[in-house]
Amino acid sequence: MPEVLLGITGKDFTLIAASKAAMRGATILKAADDKTRQLNKHTLMAFSGEAGDTVQFAEYIQANAQLYSMRNETDLSPSALAHFVRGELASSLRSRKPYNVNLLLGGVDPITHQPSLYWLDYLASLAPVPYAAHGYAQYYCLSLLDKHHQPDITLERGMELLTLCADELKRRLPIDFKGLIVKAVTKDGIKEMPFDNDKVVKGT
Amino acid sequence: MDTLVARYSRPTYQQNEVFSEQDQQDFTDVVPPLSLKFAMPPVAHPSAWLRAATDDRSNPSCPIKIAHGTTTLAFRFQGGIIVATDSRATAGNWIASQTVKKVIEINSDLLGTMAGGAADCQYWLAWLGMQCRLHELRHKRRISVAAASKILANLVYQYKGMGLSMGTMCAGVTKEEGPALYYIDSDGTRLAGDLFCVGSGQTFAYGVLDAEYRWDLTTEEALELGSRSILAATHRDAYSGGFINLYHVKESGWEKHGFTDTNPVFWKTKLEKGEFSNVTSNFAE
Amino acid sequence: MPSPFSINGGACVAMVGKDCVAIACDLRLGLQALTVSNNFPKVFQYGDNVFLGLTGLATDVSTVSDLFRYKVNMYRLREERHIAPRTFANLVSSSLYERRFGPYFVSPVVAGLDPKTGAPFICGFDSIGCIDFAQDFIVSGTATDQLFGMCESLWEPGLGPDELFETISQALLNAVDRDALSGWGAHVYIIEKDKVTKRLLKGRQD
Repeated sequence: MPEVLLGITGKDFTLIAASKAAMRGATILKAADDKTRQLNKHTLMAFSGEAGDTVQFAEYIQANAQLYSMRNETDLSPSALAHFVRGELASSLRSRKPYNVNLLLGGVDPITHQPSLYWLDYLASLAPVPYAAHGYAQYYCLSLLDKHHQPDITLERGMELLTLCADELKRRLPIDFKGLIVKAVTKDGIKEMPFDNDKVVKGT
Repeated sequence: MDTLVARYSRPTYQQNEVFSEQDQQDFTDVVPPLSLKFAMPPVAHPSAWLRAATDDRSNPSCPIKIAHGTTTLAFRFQGGIIVATDSRATAGNWIASQTVKKVIEINSDLLGTMAGGAADCQYWLAWLGMQCRLHELRHKRRISVAAASKILANLVYQYKGMGLSMGTMCAGVTKEEGPALYYIDSDGTRLAGDLFCVGSGQTFAYGVLDAEYRWDLTTEEALELGSRSILAATHRDAYSGGFINLYHVKESGWEKHGFTDTNPVFWKTKLEKGEFSNVTSNFAE
Repeated sequence: MPSPFSINGGACVAMVGKDCVAIACDLRLGLQALTVSNNFPKVFQYGDNVFLGLTGLATDVSTVSDLFRYKVNMYRLREERHIAPRTFANLVSSSLYERRFGPYFVSPVVAGLDPKTGAPFICGFDSIGCIDFAQDFIVSGTATDQLFGMCESLWEPGLGPDELFETISQALLNAVDRDALSGWGAHVYIIEKDKVTKRLLKGRQD
């Protein structure tokens, strides 16, 4: 729950942000953790949840997505991948040892160039959304994005919204999540975005 | 002799703030003797029994459902204090009422907000109003917000562990204090501050409020921000909703700014400003 | 831990009219108190005039709706004809009972018109496939108590398509307004002999 995942779609991009802290109990094991995996050229998945399950599941999905791309010489669309991921998570849910993973899957359609974002929780509920969050971040950031998000925003405005969210989380969350790693998915692929994590936010 | 010493020696929790001797006396005088005014259930451990019967968080099938779920906020700014609340009361998933008045007008200068147990808040804030009036009659001057909030904090602290459930804010403007805002809850916490949101929808209200809060907000901006923050919380929190109850507290007393249905406000905000882009509005198809 | 039937919230209702049926659902997807999405329809179409409404655990709503899309497609390929509502209802029932000891946490509702006679057909199920054939209306979801109250007072026999639309819409909207876990907009389908009308209702967003 203290892990932060955020996703925002705009005019021609999807932004995914994840907190950099890898926590075990009261310890921060690593302060530059990357909780995202690239599934193909224009689909990115961010994950949080039970230690171990997260990376195992994400890399299993990543391997299958890449296998599909190699076999068929074409990439699955973000929508197709989201439904594939949901299917895998749903069948795991009724197995002896279910994966306990929450996911955000963001991408840009390779043909239509339409950006999309999918919210999945550990129960394998799937919802397409214009912006999303997981963990405590949902409770602080969704209302903020309800107010400030518009469907046709530019990438710069998207980054501003992420800063707005990060500021609020720094102000109100009782633990330090060590800043965000931010990646942008556009029709040209996925690239990491520079993000100012050193900004100090004063509480009220 | 012991009673005199007890009356005038301060316990540690009162040593940080300086109150007049009169205030001090109020704190000790007003507290009703425990278990004399309230009938107790005839069981070995009344508070544990009550908790088992009413706490729907630990026991969802508890026999007595107490109204819960709220968003309330209050913040100080250059022009006074804004107080805003929603108006929904829920008992489990059942919406018991959409027209609850969660701002309690303690007197013409003081406002209290209500979150948690509806009856607890209504009863003790009304009681607080009575104590404030008695203070005025005894001392021929209005009570400070600090003192009023402390009377309430001390009272709920006396009942700690017996199942009172309230998260309240006291807002008032006095000549000596200026705009003063206090948060009091049934754990016994009492905090002075600039900005508080209380209730199940608090985080949603904080999200919107923090982003645009400044001390030098104009009164119009402050009223709009307060009402927009409640709207945000009613949208995302299932246990908040109904109407937006808006107040502005000034030195001349409080002023009511309407009890407005969220539904038309929501659609106006969405359609005119393009906010809430997650809500489908493609009614044709 | 809350019941799997009320984690995500949602409501669904079906009604019989004169030579027509209606089915409607809300659009909320929540995680207990938190509303995650306002665009999660719970009514699915399987052929010209066979509809299935699913409330309960969101993951099972998706799983079960996908499962029936597969089964209905296979039926159509094998039989070279569309599935009839009554046949579909029996398919739903037996498919749910296959999971008797590890059920899908859903409460399905079927609505449609008989392809031969054009007679209205509605029915509801519990999560393990017991069919409830009804001649008037079927309700399901977290707002069932409220929906029963609304339907018992608003519904009458022999409603035409327009009256039926009004009745089902009022019943659903007013029911979900008294339930914290459902609402946030609604879809309504009016199914007539050779016409299906789908409408999006503008509901309260709190």
